Amino acid sequence: MPDVDVFTALANPARREVLRLLRDGGPHPVAELARRFDMSRPSLSEHLRLLKDAGLVTERRAGRQRLYSLRTEPLRELAGWLAPYERFWQDRLHDLANFLETDDDD
Amino acid sequence: MTTEATSIEVDQYLPHRPAKVWRALTDRDRLAAWLMPSDFAPIVGHRFTFRTEPRAGFDGVVHCQVLDLEPERLMRWSWAGGTLDSVVTWTLRPEGRGTRLFLRHEGFDPEDPLQRRAQQIMGGGWRSHIMRALEADLAAS
Repeated sequence: MPDVDVFTALANPARREVLRLLRDGGPHPVAELARRFDMSRPSLSEHLRLLKDAGLVTERRAGRQRLYSLRTEPLRELAGWLAPYERFWQDRLHDLANFLETDDDD
Repeated sequence: MTTEATSIEVDQYLPHRPAKVWRALTDRDRLAAWLMPSDFAPIVGHRFTFRTEPRAGFDGVVHCQVLDLEPERLMRWSWAGGTLDSVVTWTLRPEGRGTRLFLRHEGFDPEDPLQRRAQQIMGGGWRSHIMRALEADLAAS
């Protein structure tokens, strides 16, 4: 079990921004993340540690750098509650797209 | 309460002009072909029901009412079925030679403490924007 629950980790805007950066740009070295934030390096490190404890990021060494990557597994439970409805509507919109191909209303 | 955390937004590009998409949304027979059979009529205030296969905890009937209608642009329905008391909004936007259709389904009940907590913490667009993208990542992985 992670030491920090995922809600605590997500509650902070800076930590969400870290996740967004990792999602959009893939793994980032810590130095690159630091450039994106107006905060001290120790503060950023603290946020990264918390995200790591929540299992939302992983850290690995690449040469002299520490690379952070997004880990999405803890979000599965969170994503779960509306997922069946979302799938329902996605399927219906696919059906609509297919239907429009055969609909001779032009 | 923030609606962001209790709603679904999906969209789909359709290579057809809005008028044709609109008819697929508002013509009862066309609607039945891709959504569900109903006694829909495109009149604000009209009450109608969708009928589908019953499942556990759901009798298969969705009670709806047309709340809003702007031809070829927007349609809003109330959508009540099972334990759900919600609102469905269709929005059409011309895009290139076709139409982008947005669906927003809101008003899910965050009774579950987990959901309520998620809503409280993640309101203000977090779920709708970042979570959706993360969910897309999940779906792709």
